[in-house]
Amino acid sequence: MRDKIRSIVIENLLNGKEVADDQDLLISGMVDSLGVMRLVRLLEAEFDIKIPAEDVVIEHFGSIDMLAAYMETRIST
Amino acid sequence: MIRLLHQMIAGAADRDADAPAFRFLDETLSYGALAAKSDQVAAILSEHGVRKGDRVGLYLNKSLETAISLYGVMKAGGAYVPLDPGAPAERTRMVMKQCGMSAFITHAPKAQDASEVLERYDTEGLACIIGAQPGNLKSPVLGWDDLGTGLPAPENRILDQDLAYIIFTSGSTGEPKGIMHTHRSGLAYAEAAAATYDVRSNDRLSNHSPLHFDMSTFDYLCGPLAGACTVIVSEAHAKLPASLSKLIQDEQLTHWYSVPFALIQLLQHGALDQRDLSALRWVMFGGEPFPAKHLNALMKSLPQARFSNVYGPAEVNQCTYHHVTVSDLADDRPPPIGQVWDHAEGIILDENDQPVTADHTGELVIRSSTMMRGYWAREDLNASAYYKRPLGGGFPDYFYRTGDLVTDEGGGVLRFIGRKDRQVKVRGFRVELDEVEAALSLQDAVDEAAAVLLKGDDGAAAIVVAATLKDVYNADIETDILTAAARKLPRYAVPQQLIVIDAFPRTTSGKIDKRALARDLEECRLEKETADAR
Repeated sequence: MRDKIRSIVIENLLNGKEVADDQDLLISGMVDSLGVMRLVRLLEAEFDIKIPAEDVVIEHFGSIDMLAAYMETRIST
Repeated sequence: MIRLLHQMIAGAADRDADAPAFRFLDETLSYGALAAKSDQVAAILSEHGVRKGDRVGLYLNKSLETAISLYGVMKAGGAYVPLDPGAPAERTRMVMKQCGMSAFITHAPKAQDASEVLERYDTEGLACIIGAQPGNLKSPVLGWDDLGTGLPAPENRILDQDLAYIIFTSGSTGEPKGIMHTHRSGLAYAEAAAATYDVRSNDRLSNHSPLHFDMSTFDYLCGPLAGACTVIVSEAHAKLPASLSKLIQDEQLTHWYSVPFALIQLLQHGALDQRDLSALRWVMFGGEPFPAKHLNALMKSLPQARFSNVYGPAEVNQCTYHHVTVSDLADDRPPPIGQVWDHAEGIILDENDQPVTADHTGELVIRSSTMMRGYWAREDLNASAYYKRPLGGGFPDYFYRTGDLVTDEGGGVLRFIGRKDRQVKVRGFRVELDEVEAALSLQDAVDEAAAVLLKGDDGAAAIVVAATLKDVYNADIETDILTAAARKLPRYAVPQQLIVIDAFPRTTSGKIDKRALARDLEECRLEKETADAR
């Protein structure tokens, strides 16, 4: 799943630019607010889940590591 | 009496040194600490030769260092120049060169980008650099930890008419232009805003706008004047509305000020039903029109707060306001920009510089103590920027020509109709479409380029360009051209899409027909969106 998340982020938000799993996605300016919303839609479609607005927070979307950890909790329950 | 902007800090520190001046994430900077730390920055700058009127670039992410630096620079007698931390290195160097930067302040999160900027800049002209990685640079580099303590700020004879800051904005020739503000114009704005929006020492203000965006002057200047606490919103919070709403709740913000886009995001994705934002008593927005539908919904979800539409180009800081009521939005139009505030005089002029009659549309010109001194080193612009109203004795009144077309709807309530020129707003940021076109048409591959702004109803806007080519088409050419343009333009001005065409639609006089082009490009975009959705 982590690989899938990484490829979604890199292909759709970073124009193919590589990024480390623990690298901050939000401060560096790589991803903007519209990018975050697009990412939410893509993740919802890919994993067939609904991500509620209150879950779209820094603690879950700050890096690929954080995203993977969050998605784990969503898929396994 | 306070005459200079940095005297506000000493004043607030004298009243209550422990009162919080700025907050960022978990850190708090008290007025006492801000006074002491900005003294250190001033002392160091001065020791290295920064003098009155010198320009000092601030290349900083959101952080407490922004507040310390800008007050430090002013204490040294200098003018702070916010540099967009997200701008490409080449553009940053362009701004630095244009205003003959005397010193440069950055910090750890930007150190790597700062190196990229400075490596190809003639740093000999920089008296010192604070916060960068000591590399192969020709000027002394100091760390934030080396600033020491206890040094008094230098003695300077600074007058209220001296330069305090320069804000760079998009210029139609392809070069950004610097709006110069003095201690007087900055302080006059802080005083007028504090009175208009009832800012008091126990208030907590948001700082959502980045420092290089002029809306930040409310947060950085008006807050300290009132002795209030300004909460600097991190880049991450600004991108995640649900985190942002939590911050507004936890920080008990009383005043919010941003572009409509941020508020629409908050409304749509901010999980507002799960937050308690009852401390918020004033929501101010500006930079561009707020679509009525969203504003209405937001006002319903924050019933305790007053809402104000704030208007004014960076050249005059602010000049009109409108306290919005539900009935303003009944006709589904954005709220009016409202009345000229008490601190300014406004006239609506026709094409012949004659005041318009009754409810006719014309250009708003503004005279005010909050007005800029002029554009940095741009005699051409300074000659055309003002309307001079003749007055006896050979000293005319100077009015800034806003370029905004307005109508008086009765009782002095103004409505924004459009622009006289080709300036557009992208999430509140000013962009000259001419500058975007220049960034494309100066490339070897491009023959001609034309840019248009396409707007969505959620406050989002996209610049789309069409171009004809000199070279033969290849599959990578759109990406190549946009990448080259992105090296020259700030991020918000980079076109979202480039469409290569064989020929432009033309008017009968042979000019590019921008209206027909906008229609074509809108269709193209809709087709692409439909294709993407499949």
